[in-house]
Amino acid sequence: MRNWLNIPVTAWTGAALLSAGVAALAVGLKLGLGLNGENIATLALLQIAAVLALAIFSGNSGIVSFGHSAFMGIGAYASGLLTMAAAAQKSALPTLPAWLAGHETGLFVALAATAGVGVIAGVISGLPLSRLSTSSAAIGTLAFLIIIHVCLVGARDITRGSQTFYGVPRLTTLWVALAAAVLMIFAARLFRETRLGLALRASRENEVAASAIGIDIRRARFWAWVASITCATLVGALYGHYLGAFSPRDFYFDLIFTFIAMLIVGGLYSTSGAVAGVLMLALVIQLLRKAEAGLGLGFVTLPQVFGLPQLGLGLALLLTIWARPTGLAGLSELRLATFTRRPDEAPPQPLTQPARPKPAGQALSVRDVSVRFGGLTALDRISFEVPMGQVTGLIGPNGAGKTTLINVICGQQRPTAGSVTLGGTTLSALPAHRVAAAGLARTFQNIRLFDRLTAMENVAAAAERNGRSRAEAEGIAMAELTRMGLAPRWNEPAAAFAYGDRRRLEIARALALSPAFLLLDEPAAGMNPAETERLIETLEGLKAERDLGILVVEHDMRLIMRLSDRMVVLNKGQKIAEGTPDQVRADPAVIEAYIGTKRHTNDQQGS
Amino acid sequence: MTRLGRLLSYSATLALLGGAALAEDVTIGLATAQTGGLAFADQPSLAGFQMAIEEINAKGGLGGKYMVTLDIKDTRSDTGATVQAAQELVAAGVKVLITPCDADPSIAAGQISQAAQIPTLTFCGTTPTITDAVGDYMFGTYPADNGQAALLAEHAIAKGYKSAYILKSPDSAYTLRLPEYFAEAFTAKGGTIAGEGSYGLGQQDFAAEVTKIAALNPPPDVIMTAAYEPDFPAFLKALRGAGVTAPVLGSDGIDSPTTTGLGEIANGIVHTTAGFAADGTPLGDFYKRFAEKTGSAPETVYVATGYEIPYILDAAVTAAGTMDGPALRDALASLEGVTVLTGTVTYKGTNRMPSRDITLVEIQNGARTPILTATPDPASVPAP
Repeated sequence: MRNWLNIPVTAWTGAALLSAGVAALAVGLKLGLGLNGENIATLALLQIAAVLALAIFSGNSGIVSFGHSAFMGIGAYASGLLTMAAAAQKSALPTLPAWLAGHETGLFVALAATAGVGVIAGVISGLPLSRLSTSSAAIGTLAFLIIIHVCLVGARDITRGSQTFYGVPRLTTLWVALAAAVLMIFAARLFRETRLGLALRASRENEVAASAIGIDIRRARFWAWVASITCATLVGALYGHYLGAFSPRDFYFDLIFTFIAMLIVGGLYSTSGAVAGVLMLALVIQLLRKAEAGLGLGFVTLPQVFGLPQLGLGLALLLTIWARPTGLAGLSELRLATFTRRPDEAPPQPLTQPARPKPAGQALSVRDVSVRFGGLTALDRISFEVPMGQVTGLIGPNGAGKTTLINVICGQQRPTAGSVTLGGTTLSALPAHRVAAAGLARTFQNIRLFDRLTAMENVAAAAERNGRSRAEAEGIAMAELTRMGLAPRWNEPAAAFAYGDRRRLEIARALALSPAFLLLDEPAAGMNPAETERLIETLEGLKAERDLGILVVEHDMRLIMRLSDRMVVLNKGQKIAEGTPDQVRADPAVIEAYIGTKRHTNDQQGS
Repeated sequence: MTRLGRLLSYSATLALLGGAALAEDVTIGLATAQTGGLAFADQPSLAGFQMAIEEINAKGGLGGKYMVTLDIKDTRSDTGATVQAAQELVAAGVKVLITPCDADPSIAAGQISQAAQIPTLTFCGTTPTITDAVGDYMFGTYPADNGQAALLAEHAIAKGYKSAYILKSPDSAYTLRLPEYFAEAFTAKGGTIAGEGSYGLGQQDFAAEVTKIAALNPPPDVIMTAAYEPDFPAFLKALRGAGVTAPVLGSDGIDSPTTTGLGEIANGIVHTTAGFAADGTPLGDFYKRFAEKTGSAPETVYVATGYEIPYILDAAVTAAGTMDGPALRDALASLEGVTVLTGTVTYKGTNRMPSRDITLVEIQNGARTPILTATPDPASVPAP
């Protein structure tokens, strides 16, 4: 069995292994070092939980969040208000609104309420955040940090403002912290593999390509943010019950910087990395704390020097960025195979796609499409049809308007006039991420793969879009990889593939969407003649096998003449010819556009 | 030798022998911020503390019989790290715990030592709620915010100021509550508050706040703030630049060379301090001794307030005759008029924030002159 509850079994075993390791370390510390070991372990476990809550959003989306520490603060205050003894509350918070006062709940009731607060906070902050571009979103999280800090300081009746909020019972024992860490390990590790997690990781690697396979990036970011923030408020509540007394300052820049440092040192891209980062830095800090009290080395005694832990933290960060930019763990996750040194998972069995029900006479039609940028007319009333079961070639010299036309067809550019329809759907009115579901898949001129995802994940991310289960999506992905001759390398990251294989992987990803139409944007660009020949063979096979309308944009005349059933020629924004390759080849307007006018040639001869 | 004389000499010898036999090693734990944002206060406090412990050990220890070892842990000015350090120290069995110059970590650490019945003193935490927040084992040592405010209000009334403007920042308890305590004490004595302004820590530009003050009609007689570097110099420059000439009252946060370095615009500033080291005073002598020992004079009064803490403890241990938690707590809470470098310290009748002398100094031409040293009248100190 490869999947359980729609999530790969390796993720479950990986999370279990990681949890077992962390638990063994914590218990070992307690048994070996007594109360001190217990203290060290409790704080480290809370840090693991906090960093994993951060990793759910930042690790998968690639957007570093500076706001999480502030949301932890919200959790700490919310939960602290509920668990606080009534007498302590009266003296600490004399002006507390009555509905908040005197609950004296247990930890678990308080955590349940805090989760509710976390969801609300996540939704409110996630709405604006998910609308921001990747780079602005990081700055947006910084704004949340500042806004929440100001609100916590301002809400004096509830939080005592900048004064210490005290009297919070210290309920976070080693076992509570261990439970939190284990739950967060499972949550973070499994989340990566959910449909949402995979979609988010794909968007992290390449936003345009993610949209093209039908991923609604805003939606993915929104829900991941809500989940991540809810976890952060819960961990914050436990951190509050560990501290016992705190103020908004304790949840400000310093805290989030520590967590981000841990995440970067360990590795932003894997759950195991986040855990490794916390353990590594916790170890560095604890060792240097011992060392700073003065160290006897037998022959010399080092003097007492304070500040060693910070120095160590800075050095660790610097060394990581220099030597291992993806962090200690890089892209790898802890799994059984890490110990057994043999592959622990069999490749999924290829699964043939069920035939897509195709409405008769469906075609991709471009109707009177015009695009004007200010005074410049990029496309002028272009019309043509891409029929099912045929290859349509689109050619034109540089600047003819091919790229603009592709952007219009794929929903990335709104036409000034006219429309592009597929069956009954107007593609040109859809946002880019809904074009795939309408039946159009595409590849890109400058290959856009999800580089740090495996070949399988690249293709499965697309196959999963049609509401398929993980197992089904992997089966289809395997079939497409096999078709493209990439099956033996299914578990390697896309970045490791050679140029020609990257092209094929991109085509496999597009085909996994089971599209009615496939748009290939300069598929032979950058290929040598041998690679081009292989590509032509692949595409000819595809044409024979599948009932698929293909639109190829290409400069390589040999390829396009051999492959196309019909051709459309653009020049300076206008369609100048349409017909079979032979007709187009003989068309004087095409010859003029590509070679120049006869008169021009005569002049040259005459001179 | 008379019988009586012999008896006395015997008993003296016995006492000496007994004393020597009873000498006991104890550990005092310090979970204080030697690095980070609080190091400016905790570092000098520690230097003073260590010097006093050396002196006391040389004389036979606390209460004449407890030889002290220090277990010093750096908290990196982080509350989480303070909790960890406090837990370690409590587990190691320290007899007394010292916490940083700030309310958050002091309360967080105090909650741990309170449960273990270990008397705990904050280096120079000034927030008067620290002690009540923790419980009966928590003691302040430094002049509290409300005491400083009360003395400033007494001074303002004595100078005949009728109306005051207060500038506060909600970003820290010190910058927020001290001006509020001042307003409370000032109005209780018949003054009025002409208005109040707010700023953010590290704000730099005070044009908006200063414009508001300059527009007040009638202008306030005095302006009070607990702002410190870098906000106070920025505020003062903007204020004088806008032509406002009202005198300014400040708190111990501006007791640094930066303030006297501001030149002419600093003239007339009156602020509180824990002590002023004039020649011939105990504090002045201490500064000389410290300079002889370390090669440089103390840069802040925190060295002196840190130095005073072991002597406060010595008085309590002497009274209690033991360093057991409950007995030492009761002895500390009953201390009255213990003479230290900057005056006297009393805990009896307080909420364990000490009633102690505070000095008012005035700045003229780049130098400070003490104008008043007094313990604020408990009746006029605003409730924490």
